[in-house]
Amino acid sequence: MLSAQSARLRSLAADWARRRQGEDSHAVALQRRRVYILPTRYGLIFALTVFAMLLGSLNYGASLGFGLTFLLCGLGLVLMQHCHNNLLGVTISFAGADPVFAGAEARFRIALQNGAAETRWDLAIDCGASGDGPVDLASGAATTLQVNLPTRTRGWVHLTRFSVSSRHPGNLFRAWSWIHMDARCLVYPEPAPPGRPYAFSSDAGGMRSAPQQEEDDFVGLRDASPADPPRRLAWKAYARSDQLMTKEFAGSAAPACLFDWRELAELDDDAKLSQLTRWCLDAAHEGRSFGLVLPDRKIPLGTGERHLHDCLQALALHGLAE
Amino acid sequence: MSALTRNTTGMSRLIWTAGICIGASLPHWTTLPIWAPALLLLCIGWRFAARIARLPLPGRKLMWLVTFGAFGAVFFEFRTINGLVPGTALLVVMVSLKFLEARSQRDHMLLTVIAYFLVFASLLAGGGPLKGLYLFVFVWITTLGLLQVGRHGSLLPNVPTARLAGRMLVQSLPLMIVLFLLFPRLPGPLWAIPGAPGSGSTGLSGEMSPGDITDLGLSDEIAFRVEFMGQTPAASELYWRGPVLPLFDGRTWTRLRGSRGTVSDTIEYLGQTSEYRVMLETEGRNWVFAIDMPQTWTTGDRRQSIRMNSEYQLNVFPPGANQGRLTYTVTSHSRYRAAETLTDSEIELFTRLPSSSNPRTRELVERIVEDDPDVRTLVERALGVFRQSDFFYTLTPPPLGVHTADDFIFETKEGFCEHYASAFAIMMRMAGLPARVVTGYQGGELNSIGDYYVIRQSDAHAWTEVWTPEDGWLRVDPVSAVAPERIALGSSRSSIARPATVATRLGRLPWLRQAALAWDVVNTFWDDRIVGYGPRLQRLLLERLGFERPDWRELLALTVISTAVLMVALTIYLGLKVRETIVPDPAARSFASFMRKLGKLEVEPMQPGESPTAYARRAAERLPDDAESIRSITATYLAARYEPDPGGSASSRLRDLVRSFRSGYAPAST
Repeated sequence: MLSAQSARLRSLAADWARRRQGEDSHAVALQRRRVYILPTRYGLIFALTVFAMLLGSLNYGASLGFGLTFLLCGLGLVLMQHCHNNLLGVTISFAGADPVFAGAEARFRIALQNGAAETRWDLAIDCGASGDGPVDLASGAATTLQVNLPTRTRGWVHLTRFSVSSRHPGNLFRAWSWIHMDARCLVYPEPAPPGRPYAFSSDAGGMRSAPQQEEDDFVGLRDASPADPPRRLAWKAYARSDQLMTKEFAGSAAPACLFDWRELAELDDDAKLSQLTRWCLDAAHEGRSFGLVLPDRKIPLGTGERHLHDCLQALALHGLAE
Repeated sequence: MSALTRNTTGMSRLIWTAGICIGASLPHWTTLPIWAPALLLLCIGWRFAARIARLPLPGRKLMWLVTFGAFGAVFFEFRTINGLVPGTALLVVMVSLKFLEARSQRDHMLLTVIAYFLVFASLLAGGGPLKGLYLFVFVWITTLGLLQVGRHGSLLPNVPTARLAGRMLVQSLPLMIVLFLLFPRLPGPLWAIPGAPGSGSTGLSGEMSPGDITDLGLSDEIAFRVEFMGQTPAASELYWRGPVLPLFDGRTWTRLRGSRGTVSDTIEYLGQTSEYRVMLETEGRNWVFAIDMPQTWTTGDRRQSIRMNSEYQLNVFPPGANQGRLTYTVTSHSRYRAAETLTDSEIELFTRLPSSSNPRTRELVERIVEDDPDVRTLVERALGVFRQSDFFYTLTPPPLGVHTADDFIFETKEGFCEHYASAFAIMMRMAGLPARVVTGYQGGELNSIGDYYVIRQSDAHAWTEVWTPEDGWLRVDPVSAVAPERIALGSSRSSIARPATVATRLGRLPWLRQAALAWDVVNTFWDDRIVGYGPRLQRLLLERLGFERPDWRELLALTVISTAVLMVALTIYLGLKVRETIVPDPAARSFASFMRKLGKLEVEPMQPGESPTAYARRAAERLPDDAESIRSITATYLAARYEPDPGGSASSRLRDLVRSFRSGYAPAST
């Protein structure tokens, strides 16, 4: 109940800060007017203690007690200033996020660079439940921290807001700054479970449909893929090791395949995308040349990481407004 | 963080917290029962043993047992858990037990905050400037500990952090001073303070048993300080009147229970007046001191008043409320006539003696009275007893038997003021004259640096007052008959049979004496202006600042305003320091000047949320001729900014590129 209230309050404050600050550009140098500060629970305990000291001094009329009370009072206020200043001059930028599959955590890399002449202590990054740090940054030094966001569906996941904070010195206060920058991570569709054999497009133009295998020399075994013809599975090896392998023959580059959206007519759209993702992954893994045919887009045959990424991105963003 | 770093960090945290806990409780060790610091050390030792040698920590049952045992011990020791010392003992117990189970950062933070409170508790009991210095240094150490313990990761480097802690304390000093001076001080306590009965402190006890004390260990401890306004009376006139002892049981002189009514109106004040201010540690006693004979008296404190009782003794009212320091102003007269009339019962009271005590003295007195019954010469002739015989003033007299006056006058003939005053009063009572013993101090030492008088415990004195129907009460000091220099010079400079201790020998060295005087000035300033800063001094200060009778609301407003002003000043000061230290990234600086150049070429400035690449694309569309150099500058900028750039080569290349952009010559590319 209380935590729900405080979460609501926090999001209201954050929205206010966003309206106040506006969108951030790709790199943010922290300035005084965008650093907020509140006492931590230790700060509250400290304040309560000082208040108790004040009451005690009043009661005993103890001048020296007043002296210490007011010294600590001043110390608290000075600590607050130092804590607030400890974020100034730090530049924050988004250093990228590698694409992930839906269901996995998107990992956003945040680069921090200390442009101040003094060391900046105890810098941490927070985003909801996830956070990283604290790190110390010497003058001029830079580092990269990471925040994770859970993903559920394909497409872009945006890091709408995160905070850079510090509790130095003394952990009595937490100074932070909200950052709203255009940080996004591509989420590929979740791959379907393996098992469904490849379905080839009927108009797979240049693809070789029947591999000419027999006359080639046997060169070794590799992990079996559901698309492998049963004749080439290493049944003897399977009997020995419990692992299904496929015999590979020299000169028999696995046949290329063009995966077609229309071959999966019985599935709904998301399941189609999942299945296509699975096939793309398997094909890339087997070193096959593969391509995609989507209702509004066609990706010709190709190989390599870049090609795989292009295919998966097309699947991830299919039907979504860019 | 690796397990090893976490381990060493945990250990360093423990060491910090242990040091802070011991240091904060150290000033309490003398007042606490011995088991409290012992428990603390035991718990700390156990915790470290558990950590280093992997010994088991006490189980839950034992912890409960120790907790209840310690709380019970506090209660049985003090019969209460309320009050300063019991409260402190409880705090030390809590710190000990908490330390035993301190694991998380939270525990260490709590212990550090409690350490501040322990320091605070030791300040409530007062203390001198040395204690103040120790505690300031210790607050610094505790603050350093707070910074270390408050860290999430491994500990901060000690030396720069100590400097930071010191800097922060110095920066909080102005706030402290302003709050100290302006925060409204209340004239009374918020709730009743449990009294601490005169716990073995030195000073006059309010009774006197000559013959019991055989070595008057006179301490140099300061009884009170006096500041004269105007003329200072001669040292021989400085009789500081204290407790008056009219009751005698044969051995001990004691005060009167109650009062005989108001008789002080009958005093006739003569001679010179002197006005002075006394700063006194009352130590829980009711009586205060003034030069014989005080005429007017005021305290600086509205809570307390001073009243004179029937024996002309000044007492604080209400009794029992006078804890700690008391400052009061008195006017005294050097001569007076206290010609009150005594009723028969009062005469009986002041001449009462146990029957059949001191037979030889009684015989001697009867002989003196038979010679000449005139009471006016009687006093002189009785004093003659001490003058004629070989009486000796010493601070280490032999003990006296049952008949103290007999033994003193006829056997030992050695003693200090108490012996003489008691024997003389007994003789006067035997002669039928009402007499009583007055205790107090005599003399005092001028502190030439601070221009005030210091009256020490070694100045303690006792004399006699004799009543005659014509003149009333007369002061008679038998010591002046034996050792007049004791009265003329004061105890500290008269060397009568005073055992030469190391301290007094050292006291003869002139430079040491100077140093002692200077130290006393520091002490006086501390006691008077810092420890003694209360409602009265605050009012005086504010009146000097031009505030007429400010009430607490105005004071509070003044406090808040000045705190706010100081905070703004501090923010500006610290902000200026930060601004000086920010070094703009050279790449960002170059790109900013590039954007300024583009701005002159009518490219809209970079929008919030726009990436440099998008901006460059826009600029290239606007200036197609420069598209290539815009693209390369932006790429170099991104490389300098977001890729490892150890030598800063990308930054310098960027600078050259930006400089040559549209300036007519090709960049010196590397």
